[in-house]
Amino acid sequence: MAVSELAHGTKAGVSARNGNVDAARLSIFALVAALALLPLLAGGFLLYSLSLCFANALAVLSVSMLVRYGGEVSIGHSFFVALGAYAVAIVEHRLGLSIAVSLPLAVLLGAIAGFVFAFPSRRLSGIYLAVATMALALALPEILIGFEKFTGGFEGLYIAQDLIPGISKALQRYYVALVLLVVVCLALSHFRKSAQGLALLMAQAQPRAAEAMGITRSWARVSIFTLSAALASLAGAMTGFASSTVSPNSFTFFSGVFLLVGSVVSLNRLSLPAALVGGAFITLVPTYLAKAGDWVPILYGVALIVVTLAANAGDLRRFLPRRRGR
Amino acid sequence: MSVAGFIRDILPLLWSGIISGCLYGVGALGLVMVFKSSRVVNFSHGNLACLGAFVVYGFSSGSLLSLSWGSAVALALGIACAVAVVSYALIAPIVFKSDLASTIATLGVGLVLQGGVQLVFGADIVNLDLPVPRFSFSLGAVRVSSYDLAVLAVTIAIVAGLFVIIERTKLGVAFRAVSTNPFACEVCGLNLRSVHLFSWLAGAVLGLVAALLIVPTTFLSSTTVPSFMLQAFTAAVVGGFSSLPGAAVGGILVGIAMNLFSFYVSPEFMNTFLLGVILLTLNFFPNGLLERAIGGRV
Repeated sequence: MAVSELAHGTKAGVSARNGNVDAARLSIFALVAALALLPLLAGGFLLYSLSLCFANALAVLSVSMLVRYGGEVSIGHSFFVALGAYAVAIVEHRLGLSIAVSLPLAVLLGAIAGFVFAFPSRRLSGIYLAVATMALALALPEILIGFEKFTGGFEGLYIAQDLIPGISKALQRYYVALVLLVVVCLALSHFRKSAQGLALLMAQAQPRAAEAMGITRSWARVSIFTLSAALASLAGAMTGFASSTVSPNSFTFFSGVFLLVGSVVSLNRLSLPAALVGGAFITLVPTYLAKAGDWVPILYGVALIVVTLAANAGDLRRFLPRRRGR
Repeated sequence: MSVAGFIRDILPLLWSGIISGCLYGVGALGLVMVFKSSRVVNFSHGNLACLGAFVVYGFSSGSLLSLSWGSAVALALGIACAVAVVSYALIAPIVFKSDLASTIATLGVGLVLQGGVQLVFGADIVNLDLPVPRFSFSLGAVRVSSYDLAVLAVTIAIVAGLFVIIERTKLGVAFRAVSTNPFACEVCGLNLRSVHLFSWLAGAVLGLVAALLIVPTTFLSSTTVPSFMLQAFTAAVVGGFSSLPGAAVGGILVGIAMNLFSFYVSPEFMNTFLLGVILLTLNFFPNGLLERAIGGRV
């Protein structure tokens, strides 16, 4: 893809879709409205699971963002999610402050951690980063358990403080998560059209051209990872807030892989419906298949393989004549 | 700490580091072979090795069958090779198209294998020993056991075998050619698929051997072997990820470093230590620690 095409792509896409844009927008509005009105009808467990879905959808978005803009795979985003969740819990335990203070702090910590982590592999191909994220995911449980003094060890910590006093806990969790998800989706669609977003896309599609314009590949790599980690940390803060508790049980090695599963299942898209699909897939499947626990990784694995193959194989016939030719 | 005490500690630490490092190296060799030929990081490596180790356990302990250890290993090798072929067949359509997508697909294979192991063998912790006669003797300050000798013998045999195959056989020449320039190989009419398949099979065998040899030092469960593979990944990164000697030497370095760290600092933060090793290596030696010492060849 040429650079000009890249820039044109957005413009042409917008104008070509102009007719459909309203329909697409309307359906997203309808979705948001339906979700906003849902608490009038449903209650209890459904609202709780949905608020977790929203939080996980944010985490899925952070992984998808990394794939889309950076072309990199991370199986260690659970680290940044945990960072956000524990930031909220620890701020409440030590300082007695609510998520109003700890949420920005979580985002900041996530960005710093993401930068520190991505910096060493800035000049290398994406597979090195993937290997490093594997180490990150495996190191997470022992860090959480090892720093017992802060993290509460195996038992974890509770998050009890409300954001807005006077509103029921269930409603707060639900609406705060929903509002954040919608805001992040809007911000992401804005980012796609912004100069920074285009610069990152160009650095991935045409590294040389981008370099000629002063956008180095390593800068693009580090900055997209930093953004993605900040978003993951935000998602973690929401996960902690929505479930009122953080413990090492929810941050095993596999939680990082599952985030990637959610991202792949949503085809790495950055739209609200896609994020919801990904978030729901990784939240609801384990909940409803709790009795068949061991089937969950199998199901996720199959989903990962099938979706990856279907999305990448494209025209399978191209693969066949090649063998016949030999 | 006195100097004498230090020396008394350090020699056994170095020795056991070398022994476990050999196994990390063997595990890393499998990863590097797959990566060199097909440019895919095989994240199912550890899960496949774990499955193989459990198959050996299941067939030799009586939980499924009670065969002899040797025939159980033969069966496990067969199963591991079959799974390797199937997993390569799964990613075959996309392997030339996208390294990243193929890598994600290997994660899927890993998840399926992980779930399969948990379904069949449960989440229990079991012991799986090597059937070697038990003896040990002292060599200065170092205590050498039969297990150590078995590990050394197997590692040397494997590295030598691999070296002979890669340096002396036609398949090895094809493997080297493909890892240098796949496009030119295709132009010359070389079948890339068969070379890929060779490296995937070799990777499965190496992973299984490493797992069988490492399990006696700890225990076997559905999570230990996959996380043991982090050591193999670290060894591969330290060796530069596309150098076979680098992987072997990297394994030994990682083994020694881990032993020193767990003795002098803390045994509870091993994975964090490995993460640090990976990040530092990537930052300061992006092409591996041995880049200058041996160059890029094989």
